[in-house]
Amino acid sequence: MTEIIRTRLLSKSYGKSDVVTNVSMQVRKGEIYGFLGPNGAGKSTVMKMLLNLVKPTGGEIELFGERLMPTAVEPLKRIGQMIETPVFYEKLTAQQNLELHAEYMGYYRSGAIKEAMEMVQLRGVEGKPVKQYSLGMRQRLGIARAIMTKPELLLLDEPINGLDPEGIQEMRVLFRRLRDEYGITLLISSHLLAEVEQVADTIGVIDRGRLLQEVSMESIRRSTTNYIEITTSDPKLAAYVLEDKLKLRNFKLAGGNALRVYDASVTPEELSKGLILNDVPVESINRRHHSLEDYFLELTRGGGSHDAFNQAGA
Amino acid sequence: MMHLIKLELKKGKMTGFLWGSVLTYGIMIGFLLLIYMVEGSSQTDPVFVSYEEMLGLIDTLVRATFIIYASALLSRLIISEFRDKTMALLFTYPVNRKKLIFAKLSIVFSWTFVNIVLANAIMGALFLAVNTKMGYVDDTITTELLYRHGAHVVMHAIAAAGMSLLPLAVGMRKKSITSTVISSVFIVMVVCSNNMGFSLSSIIAIPLSLGVLGVLLTYLSFRNIDKVDAA
Repeated sequence: MTEIIRTRLLSKSYGKSDVVTNVSMQVRKGEIYGFLGPNGAGKSTVMKMLLNLVKPTGGEIELFGERLMPTAVEPLKRIGQMIETPVFYEKLTAQQNLELHAEYMGYYRSGAIKEAMEMVQLRGVEGKPVKQYSLGMRQRLGIARAIMTKPELLLLDEPINGLDPEGIQEMRVLFRRLRDEYGITLLISSHLLAEVEQVADTIGVIDRGRLLQEVSMESIRRSTTNYIEITTSDPKLAAYVLEDKLKLRNFKLAGGNALRVYDASVTPEELSKGLILNDVPVESINRRHHSLEDYFLELTRGGGSHDAFNQAGA
Repeated sequence: MMHLIKLELKKGKMTGFLWGSVLTYGIMIGFLLLIYMVEGSSQTDPVFVSYEEMLGLIDTLVRATFIIYASALLSRLIISEFRDKTMALLFTYPVNRKKLIFAKLSIVFSWTFVNIVLANAIMGALFLAVNTKMGYVDDTITTELLYRHGAHVVMHAIAAAGMSLLPLAVGMRKKSITSTVISSVFIVMVVCSNNMGFSLSSIIAIPLSLGVLGVLLTYLSFRNIDKVDAA
């Protein structure tokens, strides 16, 4: 079994509005899968369907190699989760909340609570009622609860919401550690590309209920090429010079006064020398990096612009 | 199942309900003493002419109280768990949803039943004892009377425990604590009110069938709980 989660044409609609449409995703064992999409794209709904909290209106789900039945509860033993804002028994202390969680999960390893609280850097507050917790502390406690039973699969919905930059950094380290030391498979959703980019092994992009693409980070990194951008007041002349005098084929007009040279063998120095010797007026020459952001923006722009996502990616 | 019930008690801080129950006993005793002392001494129009009437009044009062009390329990154990979304949390656990709900309901059912029987026993004994001293009610205690009344109490307690679930069917529609409690008061007013010595509960078939209805409606409210969206 290499795939922990596999969905086929998974759909959910409420009346006439389709929230999730034909999502077919594959999450492999032991990887961090970044689930990326703007707010309201259907990320949480997909996660809830994986937990049987929301019943699909179409398609099917396979968890741990077995088909998920609508009333099944057994797979839940192997899943840790935090969906949307974590819910607690407010009047009970953090310790009591985690104790209850362990009891309901049927997990009785002593020291597990202490260990989980330490992993999320919550110290000395286990005796406090949860209603006194701040947003960030709740988020940490939610993560602690999700990981304390060392589940095989961890579903985390926007886990870094409400955390400070330091906390975000800590969580990133924690997620990698859970993957590497415990072999846990993680499905992490976020609307922030930068977040997902830094921890994920595979990225699934979802927008308006549809899974647009599922790619490994490695192949994205390979495909996001470097290029040299030339700005000139006479792009036509520049193109002529590049092709005829410098014998470069792999370039294109990037609109306006810019040209992009993708040929890796040529350096900016050589380019500027060649262009100037041929009387091309050069305004600037820069080495550029085709960023991931551009990559995903192009993906989501396919169906018209989407403000939330653009902002999130920016 | 016992494990689930234990967990419910653990998170609900049931000691609070225990004390509430003790307090309720105290208030009921005070109220009945007041009636007994004030009304009992007037010779022209005595409020109780027999032990049967006296014990009947105690029983009615106890049942009315604990049916309403049950609605508070239902609100705490079920309605507010839905409202606070902790029910969705419970549904992410590897536990059958029907079992979870059943554990909660059985707490309410048995709590109501036990309290009604217990309160009747304690207060009945207390007032029989008080009366042997004061003698306002001119009657004798017979084993037959005690047996008959005991059977009456147990039957009605079962019926009341079933009835106490009725408000849930109402309250669940909008997940409202208010409508749960109000409908329990309404049930009490209909069933336990006493009109010239006649009340709906004096025909045992009525409370019993209402009790069955309570269990049935509750079953229907949760029949599909594991097939619907929980969040």
